Amino acid sequence: MVHKLYKEFVDATQKVFNLMLNISDISEHPAEDFKCEDEVDIAVGVVGDLQGKVIYRFPVSTSLNMVNIMSGMEFDAVDIFVASAISEIANIISGNVMMALSGKNIVCDILPPEQCKLDGDDGEYEIATSCCIHTTIGKICLEIRLNRAA
Amino acid sequence: MLWKDNYELGVPEIDAQHKELFRRVESFLQVLRSEDSWEKRVPKLNETLEFMKKYVVEHFRDEEEYQKSINYPGYEAHKQRHMGMVNYVQEVSRRYEQSNNNEDLMQEFGGRLLSWLINHVAAEDQLIAEYAKKKG
Repeated sequence: MVHKLYKEFVDATQKVFNLMLNISDISEHPAEDFKCEDEVDIAVGVVGDLQGKVIYRFPVSTSLNMVNIMSGMEFDAVDIFVASAISEIANIISGNVMMALSGKNIVCDILPPEQCKLDGDDGEYEIATSCCIHTTIGKICLEIRLNRAA
Repeated sequence: MLWKDNYELGVPEIDAQHKELFRRVESFLQVLRSEDSWEKRVPKLNETLEFMKKYVVEHFRDEEEYQKSINYPGYEAHKQRHMGMVNYVQEVSRRYEQSNNNEDLMQEFGGRLLSWLINHVAAEDQLIAEYAKKKG
């Protein structure tokens, strides 16, 4: 289950980066590869057969590169606009994962994305995994924290 | 440029509407992100927002008509996504008016609109084109 979920998130991130940003050179690495002090963290809540959240950790430089590519404009700081654009991308990736899971009889919905402060351990999760995704415009870390519905 | 040639679906009427939508959103973003005072930007932003409210509905309706004409199997799900965006635009617009043109609200809307539009046209609408091509 953990591996299946992990793969769905990595695949969805890859697909979204490819289609929206025209970036195909993407690889996955252990979460320990992700070292960042200046990041935008977006949490997307999950309800249904799985419950919990997925936290997307975007370094500031990755966030700015993403928005620069999409808009064709120059952004040099994370403000409300950038955080909102990045939140929507986290929402799109999560939505694609939920769609893929529904084809495997795992029915979940997502809650609106929220900018958050990363908390180390905020509870016990049956499915707790993380990974670092390398792209040509920077790294992203995904933290998956989910429980199966009782 | 916000528009990229690889967003084309190969359906001239829909492609023309997408280009117009991107042109308007690009002009909206340029005003939204300009360094002029907020008071100076508001009239142009309000004008574009009004256009978007009408044009988005018209475009979605035409796109849905096209999907029906080719019996696109993802029609209902696609329609739901359109409806979600129309509701969001109307909700933001209402809150924006009530707040007397709050800038933060418009910046948040601009960021979400940018990502939503690109994903919708570059990913979701492409599925319609793929289906139409397969169907011949």
